[in-house]
Amino acid sequence: MILRQTKAILVDAYRELNAKKLFWLTLGLNLFAVIIYASIGINERGFTVLFWTLEGLFNTSMMSKSAFYKFEFITWGVPMWLSWGTTALALISTAGIIPDMVSGGTIEPILSKPIGRVRLFLTKYLTGLGFVGVQVFVFSLGCFFVLGIRGGSWEFGLFLAVPIVLAFFSYLFAFCVFIGMMTRSTITALLLTIVFFLLIFVINIGEAVTISARESAAVQIEDAQEQVEAQERFANKRLEQFQEQGKAIPGRDGEPLPSNAIDSLEALNPTLSFAKKSLVKSQGKHDSWDVWATWISRTKFVLPKTGETISLLERNLMNNDELDGFIDMMENLGGEESNKQDPRVNERINAIYDGRTITWILGTSFAFEAFFLGLSTLVFVRRDF
Amino acid sequence: MEAVIDVTGVEKMYRRKVHALRGVDLQVGAGEIFGLLGPNGAGKSTLVKVLLTVIRPTKCTGTVLGSKIGDKSALSQVGYLPEHHNFPKYLTSQQVLRHYGAMSGVDRKTRNKRCDELLEIVNMSEWSKHKLGTYSKGMRQRIGIAQALMNDPKLVVLDEPTDGVDPIGRRDIREILLRLKDEGRTVFLNSHLLSELEMVCDRVAIMVHGLMRQQGTIEELTDGQSGFVIQTKSAMANDVIAAARDAIAGIEGRVEEEQTKLRFDTSEAGRIQPAIDALRARGVVIESIGFHRQSLEDLFIEAVNENGGGAKPGAQRAKKGANS
Repeated sequence: MILRQTKAILVDAYRELNAKKLFWLTLGLNLFAVIIYASIGINERGFTVLFWTLEGLFNTSMMSKSAFYKFEFITWGVPMWLSWGTTALALISTAGIIPDMVSGGTIEPILSKPIGRVRLFLTKYLTGLGFVGVQVFVFSLGCFFVLGIRGGSWEFGLFLAVPIVLAFFSYLFAFCVFIGMMTRSTITALLLTIVFFLLIFVINIGEAVTISARESAAVQIEDAQEQVEAQERFANKRLEQFQEQGKAIPGRDGEPLPSNAIDSLEALNPTLSFAKKSLVKSQGKHDSWDVWATWISRTKFVLPKTGETISLLERNLMNNDELDGFIDMMENLGGEESNKQDPRVNERINAIYDGRTITWILGTSFAFEAFFLGLSTLVFVRRDF
Repeated sequence: MEAVIDVTGVEKMYRRKVHALRGVDLQVGAGEIFGLLGPNGAGKSTLVKVLLTVIRPTKCTGTVLGSKIGDKSALSQVGYLPEHHNFPKYLTSQQVLRHYGAMSGVDRKTRNKRCDELLEIVNMSEWSKHKLGTYSKGMRQRIGIAQALMNDPKLVVLDEPTDGVDPIGRRDIREILLRLKDEGRTVFLNSHLLSELEMVCDRVAIMVHGLMRQQGTIEELTDGQSGFVIQTKSAMANDVIAAARDAIAGIEGRVEEEQTKLRFDTSEAGRIQPAIDALRARGVVIESIGFHRQSLEDLFIEAVNENGGGAKPGAQRAKKGANS
């Protein structure tokens, strides 16, 4: 009976989406995205769009065709299309699943059937995820063939996009379902989920900015400390010379300093004073950014890690050599602009992001999802309809 | 008679403020058509929803089809048509029946067979491939009834089944109900269309303000209020009335309509003959003599009026210290 009921719910969900023309529309848009993916490529002369070649430095001597399609998938396919395009379409399509189910006149006949509320609710939730799973699978399958046929590499790792994007979507969907359950309104659920999605996006950017500023300040501290130490060494050398020669140390105004003066070194080397000021300034800057970065990180801890979840695909699909090659290529293409960032700052930032384990990323995100899903289920189980 | 529904002390309080059910006792026997009546807001739909686990009761003991209230497994033998149902408009009637049949655990083969049979019974075979969005209210109601029967239920609960249905449709529904009874199913009808209930129900209960006021067969409930009415051409003098009353010992003769009607609460024609003789002996012109049975409507209005009228919603706000 369980299978029969589950199948009935799945078929009904498909019919509902089909009635709204959303299932095939979304599928069509995903296939269109695959066509775009396939229409862009590189050859030995340059960059290609459909039948045209834009001759330039960017050609197969710089990067193999398969690497290009992989990069295209990772830099455009997943973060742009699947994370934004497909997610937006999926939210529009699935936001009504719970509000429609709990609406008056619809829920009563369902609840009067021999199916537990928890199973009913979770099955409905899974139908939403199933819809997205199908869409992502179709896109990944299309990209898999493009990469195989045009790039000459049959990369099964591409299908990792399905569970990863599904996990990413499930965080938002759990929130959407919760709002839908509480308000019984599709529009409210959709709008608040989009606001929440944007909030996470802003927090991610905020975190990136504050971490970058903090690490930049940390590097400045290191530099300033080195500068202070170098100037102190220089000042000590001069002090020794003065002492050997038995000369009084001249103060800033030219008068000899008293024997117990504390800024004798600075008097001997005025640059030391500037270096110390620079160090204090950098420390202040670091402390200030650290407060912001800490608060944002704490806030982010309880929120789903959307950006990091998507990045897991990058980690798994590309090896280090490919990643380094890709970064070099981007730097070459970026010219002077990209050289402005201190590589030490980049290293520190990368170390922070790389230090976030898969367990931490998925664990905290799934905890968020479990919390909202659990809360929604509890409300559904206890509510009188 | 085996009880299909047997509950006592059903209470439902919403948000600790609104007392929708105030200790309802209800017994429905197997194979009967049971009608629950009451004014709007009396708590009829709430009671039905409690029985079908759509609403969790505040307090309740009892069983439905031998299973404790809240036991989902019993629901595979129950068919339910909610009052303001809203079946998916994007489905055809065939798809609706098959979907709800599957949700009740009916296997595919049986679903297909039952679907065709039921569409035939509710006269909707021609429309089986049309979407519900194109149906009239009456047609949707027929599909709702068919949906409630998909799992071949032992107990059928219909909440306002004739709502929005034209007279021909009502007659069809009555026939379906009687057919269900003939098949040995128990039908629980929730309605405020008294004439409909009167025609098909074996037993009825009247619910007012979340309490069951009366319960029994229509005869049981109305017999005590039935009797012979003697209609005279002109108003009777007091001594004439007294003479007629005295002629029948033990039955009170009630005077109605400005002393032109005399009602005796008895169903035995022989017992009122002395009163007729007494009236005739005093030259009273009798226009008609007839047996008057109290209708369900009279009973209903009486029950509602006894409890403060029907316009007031039955769901009462609980007062501090109020008896629940």
